[in-house]
Amino acid sequence: MLSAFRAALTTPDLRKKILFTLGVVAVYRLGANIPSPGVSYPNVQECLRQVEGSENAGIYSLINLFSGGALLQLSILALGIMPYITASIIIQLLTVVIPRFEALKKEGQSGQNKLTQYTRYLTIALAILQATGIVSLANSGALLGNCPGIIPDDSVFNLAVIVIVMTAGTAIVMWLGEQVTEKGVGNGMSLLIFASIAHRIPAEGMNILNNAGPLVFAGVCVFGLAIIVSVVFVEQGQRRIPVQYAKRMVGRRMYGGTSTYLPLKVNQAGVIPVIFGSSLLYLPDLVARLVGNDGGWFQQFVQTYLVDQSNWLHILLYVALIIFFTYFYVGITFNPEERADEMKKFGGFIPGIRPGRPTAEYLNFVLSRITLPGSLYLGIIAVLPNFFLGVTGSGQNQNFPFGGTAVLIMVGVGLDTVKQIESQLMQRNYEGFLR
Amino acid sequence: MVLALQIVLIVSSVLLVLLILLHRGRGGGLSSLFGGGVQSSLSGSSVAEKNLDRLTLFTAAIWVVSIIGTGLLVKVGA
Repeated sequence: MLSAFRAALTTPDLRKKILFTLGVVAVYRLGANIPSPGVSYPNVQECLRQVEGSENAGIYSLINLFSGGALLQLSILALGIMPYITASIIIQLLTVVIPRFEALKKEGQSGQNKLTQYTRYLTIALAILQATGIVSLANSGALLGNCPGIIPDDSVFNLAVIVIVMTAGTAIVMWLGEQVTEKGVGNGMSLLIFASIAHRIPAEGMNILNNAGPLVFAGVCVFGLAIIVSVVFVEQGQRRIPVQYAKRMVGRRMYGGTSTYLPLKVNQAGVIPVIFGSSLLYLPDLVARLVGNDGGWFQQFVQTYLVDQSNWLHILLYVALIIFFTYFYVGITFNPEERADEMKKFGGFIPGIRPGRPTAEYLNFVLSRITLPGSLYLGIIAVLPNFFLGVTGSGQNQNFPFGGTAVLIMVGVGLDTVKQIESQLMQRNYEGFLR
Repeated sequence: MVLALQIVLIVSSVLLVLLILLHRGRGGGLSSLFGGGVQSSLSGSSVAEKNLDRLTLFTAAIWVVSIIGTGLLVKVGA
């Protein structure tokens, strides 16, 4: 393991890539701490201190998690990666609805590039919308729980400057992510999210240590480690369906005749269902706030059952949404009929099952059964931090570093990045990180 | 003075967004986000892309400097 680490750093090509990635992450974190022009930095800090104590930050906890605390500080990169994620989700969903998008998706590389380009345009549009929303919320004082004076000079021109700067900041985050994907290691966008989540861990740990004492802190650490291990275990789990390829002669050479397997991951969908689910759950609250603070039955219902994360209805709804979206997303990304057709084309078959339609049916059967434990696992991990409200002592439990979305994302991104570094190492020698 | 910097800020922001949109997207969308397949893009970037990179960096530098400038002016002046 250590020798592999040294090998990664001594290979000049790889070292350059790793250093480039670290540099971009540093620039991103730096930008996330520069306040937007026209925002009063001392006032924001003062308000943040008030909010940390209360339970009001719950609504934006997910977005704040993705931006690594930049959102509530109203920094120049306040929106972070969220508009891009939303845009990708929308485009992904539209491929099911709009025939033209579906055709583009099937077209291969060039079609995919076009879809990416659409995603980028949509990202900018969403960034303008979200920036306007956040700036107007901050200006009225509702963003940080009735704390006025964040933007001292609230002329229209001044507010417009902030919106434009935040939009440009989103574009920069997108560009940084793409640069990492191109010239660095791993997927840039997910690495930036990783960095924003990971930088909170020491602070949250201190929080627990100060609030609950060393014994609880040690317990939480052990528990967190156990969760990480179990997440890695499930993430790596896959069902291997044996596939036999027929021998065939092309010219004088013999091809095929090998037996391989088709891997079906237990958790095929990754963390995307969790993100979908939590985005949908905080929508009603957003609507209730936009309608106004009149305290009607709708608002009371939302407040008691949906916002309060320790409420049983919230937990139940969250798990149900995650299970639904897991099936939905696996249905979008894995097409058994296509896979069966491909196998038939190259002369492959699953032993005991005829090629063509029976194979597709078999794959569908296995997939829908293997996804059930996968989705249950996702749901359980995601609601786990909701039971720890008493330990952390703050309302921002989604930010709790040892459970829920944070661990899922960190483990997923970490595994992916290590695998990529390893495949780079493989080009030079056969020793890697993962045995 | 602040007004001039703000105008510079607006112009550079708009320019930055346009320049970044001109780039070829390499994100790969959501499928490769959060643990997609391992893929390596072997194709290098073209000359046009490299010049675009340089222009983007230049604009970004102006953008950052003007942001810090406005921040300092607000703090010292007002």
